[in-house]
Amino acid sequence: MAEPTLDDWRRWYYALCRIRQFEAQVQRLAGAGEIPGFPHLSTGQEAVAVGVCAHLAPDDILFTSHRGHGHVLAKGSDLERTFAEILGRDTGLCRGRGGSMHLVDASVGVLGATGVVAGNLPLAAGAAWAAQARGSNAISVVFFGDGATGAGVFHETLNLAALWRLPVLFVCENNGYAEFTARSEHSNVAQVSSFAAPYAINAMTIDGNDLPAVYAAAGLAIAGLRRGTGPYLLECMTYRLAGHYVGDSQQYRSKEELAAVKEKCPIERLRTLLLAQGATAAELDALGERARQEVLQAVERARAAPRPDPAAVLEDVYRSGALQSVPG
Amino acid sequence: MALVAVEIPKVGLVMESVRIARWLKGLGDQVQAGEPLLEVETEKSMVEIEAAVSGRLTEILAPVDQQAQVGDRIAWLETGEALKASPPAQEHAAHKAATAPGSSSPPLEPATSTTRDRAGGRLRSSPVARRVAAEHGLDLNQLAGSGPLGRIQLADVQQRVAAGAATGAAGPPPSAPGLSPMRRALARAMTLSNATVPQFSLERELNCTALQALRAEYVTLAPPGSARLSINDFLLQAIARTLIEQPAMNATFEGDVTAPDARLVPARGAHIGLVVAVDGGLLVPVIHDAEQLSLVELARRRQDCVERGLKGRLRRDELEGATTSISNLGANGPDRFMAMINPPQSAILAVGRQRDCVVAGGDGIGVRAQSALTLTVDHRVADGRLAAQFLARLVEILESREWRLA
Amino acid sequence: MAQTFIEILRRALDEELARDDSVYLLGEDVAAGGAFGVTRGLAQKFGAQRVRNTPISEAAITGLATGAALCGLKPVLEVMFIDFATLAMDCLVNQAAKYRYMSGGQLTVPMVVRTQAGAAGGAAAQHSQSLEAWFVHVPGLVVVAPSTPVEAYGLLKSAIRLGEPVLFIEHKRLYTMREAPPDDLSLLPIGQARVARAGSDVTVIAWSAMVSTALEAAEALANSGISVEVIDLRTLLPLDMACIAASVRKTHRVVIAQEAVLNGGVGAEVAARIGADLFDELDAPVERIGCPFAPIPFAPELERALLPGSSTIVAAIENMLGATASGRE
Repeated sequence: MAEPTLDDWRRWYYALCRIRQFEAQVQRLAGAGEIPGFPHLSTGQEAVAVGVCAHLAPDDILFTSHRGHGHVLAKGSDLERTFAEILGRDTGLCRGRGGSMHLVDASVGVLGATGVVAGNLPLAAGAAWAAQARGSNAISVVFFGDGATGAGVFHETLNLAALWRLPVLFVCENNGYAEFTARSEHSNVAQVSSFAAPYAINAMTIDGNDLPAVYAAAGLAIAGLRRGTGPYLLECMTYRLAGHYVGDSQQYRSKEELAAVKEKCPIERLRTLLLAQGATAAELDALGERARQEVLQAVERARAAPRPDPAAVLEDVYRSGALQSVPG
Repeated sequence: MALVAVEIPKVGLVMESVRIARWLKGLGDQVQAGEPLLEVETEKSMVEIEAAVSGRLTEILAPVDQQAQVGDRIAWLETGEALKASPPAQEHAAHKAATAPGSSSPPLEPATSTTRDRAGGRLRSSPVARRVAAEHGLDLNQLAGSGPLGRIQLADVQQRVAAGAATGAAGPPPSAPGLSPMRRALARAMTLSNATVPQFSLERELNCTALQALRAEYVTLAPPGSARLSINDFLLQAIARTLIEQPAMNATFEGDVTAPDARLVPARGAHIGLVVAVDGGLLVPVIHDAEQLSLVELARRRQDCVERGLKGRLRRDELEGATTSISNLGANGPDRFMAMINPPQSAILAVGRQRDCVVAGGDGIGVRAQSALTLTVDHRVADGRLAAQFLARLVEILESREWRLA
Repeated sequence: MAQTFIEILRRALDEELARDDSVYLLGEDVAAGGAFGVTRGLAQKFGAQRVRNTPISEAAITGLATGAALCGLKPVLEVMFIDFATLAMDCLVNQAAKYRYMSGGQLTVPMVVRTQAGAAGGAAAQHSQSLEAWFVHVPGLVVVAPSTPVEAYGLLKSAIRLGEPVLFIEHKRLYTMREAPPDDLSLLPIGQARVARAGSDVTVIAWSAMVSTALEAAEALANSGISVEVIDLRTLLPLDMACIAASVRKTHRVVIAQEAVLNGGVGAEVAARIGADLFDELDAPVERIGCPFAPIPFAPELERALLPGSSTIVAAIENMLGATASGRE
């Protein structure tokens, strides 16, 4: 694995800022009532998305959770079409049918976000199985929160993936909270990576707000997957800077907690690192501003996009038009 | 042991429907003949209905607050008596004042295993039996039902059709189609009109010059996109105004002429019917409160009614409530004709075609467009003078230039 | 030469595995032949990669099949008993059924879930259910229930080639049914019912094992001069209303016979549609026959007491046709 250059880091710095700005716009427009339903923000968890996806090729498959905007963007989805989907517009990735929790972009291998916690863990294993069966060295990655370890299917999938040596990377973003409950209250197992050992799976726990650490660990794991060493469980300790969902007033955290959180911001930390390596504040600010402008323009285009036509609401329930004749 | 149906009797002269107010007996209770069984609320008062036979109340079919019609079956009594074959219930000749409580209920017909409801009762029939009967012009009332609870089933209808075809006597000849429901309804209405409504007619020639000129002018004056005005729209507005000005003509006769409670019921607005020819007959959609509508609005309503009437999409309330109708047979119609009143309305205006006539006037002889208007009136509602005043005023308005366009 | 339902299904799977290398079989014990022996020998013939055993993890293996289908494989998953579909519901209902729609048409899920249903003497409440009604309620699924070996062959092959998530519901009691397949054994269309027996006095609509039961009843009634038309729905979702309509227009009377619990069953949907679309054709109310509202008990006499048989159908039809207005029903 070649060492990344300063240019690579700048590129990834930009990617972090881009996700941060995107989520800020989602937050703003949700607050203004323009976004239906409940979008979940990944503000503060950008490094996991960028660090892992830096190793993914177009034919690698990505699944994510309801908190998946960052992963979808990091995999390469178009900014405007992603935002349009969150707004429910006809130009959105899923023509307004899916929304924030069901983002799918088959063109870049994003086979989907799900609103059911842990619901797509076995699907990721299935995608890995398909790659294995075809003899390709593509892999599958699935992002989930630490709350997913409470689901039976999490354990079933680890077992199955290990048995069949499937090339699937399980990335757990452990931000310490499931819905509104601290981990200590919903699991007797503090460290998610400890679930790996019983299934004889490789695992690691890292600081998910440290982009270089994420990059290195993910690289190691993925290289192993491509060589056929079996699934990998990567636990990334991280922190949510926004509430569980937009509108959640974060009453369950103390002010001290929130201040400490700001210190852990992955963008701040990478910035410190890059400044020490020779980048200037001005160029980093310029990158940040460019990211902001890119997002703002995409958001405005998305907001101007047409809404879906209700007359087409029954289309695409089935692939075959002949089956469409089921009356409502 | 037999089951006897309890049906709503006719109470008083005019009774469309009643509301079940209170059951005086419960399920399983024994009732004696003549004992009050339930209370119903009519338009005028609360009335008790008595059991016609003694027995045990085994089923209540109409709960409190349900509406029921005369003849509707509302409960079952299980009697200990053998079945009697009584003559079918007549039109309940008990013409008592409806305010008298506890009016005696007419004789009820016991249900046997082969009889079903007679005149006034609700028929049980399967959907396909009804459809096939209608196709062959058969009256379900004439058929016996072999299905459960006396339901008329397909086989019963088919038997009658076959019998008719075999004997050649019961049914219409194979080549002649049966009456459609619409045709049958029209025949009934016109027979009723002829038989029960004393009608007379008056005629005036209408000078159409002003109307023709106005129609042409209004093409430019009416808001863009409005429907084109037709003579009928002018007629509608003119009749509406005249009805409001002369309310004595805006009423209908109700009741039996020989009875003391016969009366004239005034209408609360100008509700005018328009006779429309449709496939297989005619319909008379009603434009309600026409006096409130401008010519443009009338035109729109007229067009909408006609369109929906041709597609069979008029609602029941859109076919009721008029006191007067217009029958205009159009440019190819007769010079003059007399239309029959459509009960329960009290007048109808027949409009002859517009034609050029030679007219003698104060200043010599001229040619102008005219149309013969023939007003037929219910003599129970109006006499000659009233009708003549109405027609004269109508013509006056139609020859004037005072119209509410939009 | 007559083959059993199991043998013919195996033949269908064998041919599809040979024909299309994206077809994979998976499920608990499938490599060993499966709980009923349907897949016996296929792992040996096609290899352990194409015919794979899985752990007892219905949720994970259904999700695995779904994910693989999204990526171009055509998995044929065996869920041993439809009663265990309960454990796979999230993947079936929230994921597989909805993927195409939620993605705005980007993806398809060409997956078949083979399972079996029905009571067969002593399997008791958790292994005897007929749960097809749950699945016809889910937009995006296709639900097929074959009634004979030859039907199963044609329908399974079509299901595998259909390109949608299909629930293919076999029946325990049909597994030993024998039928001699014709020489031109072929695919059968999904979404089309068939007239299993032509008749003119009453239409009996059935599916799966109840088709045989209905045919028995029809045979018995023929001796009394009653001509029964039996329709085998074959596909429960989507329903072939055209076939049903043609029959009802002829007979004007309908009995729907299902093994499943009556309340909320597929028969209720069929009856409602007949009432709405074919009201003027009916000479009597639509009759439904099904299991009374209780779980399937263990003891044989108790199980027999519940399950509708041909005599139940015969009685319903005689009542419908022979009823006179002798007082109240």
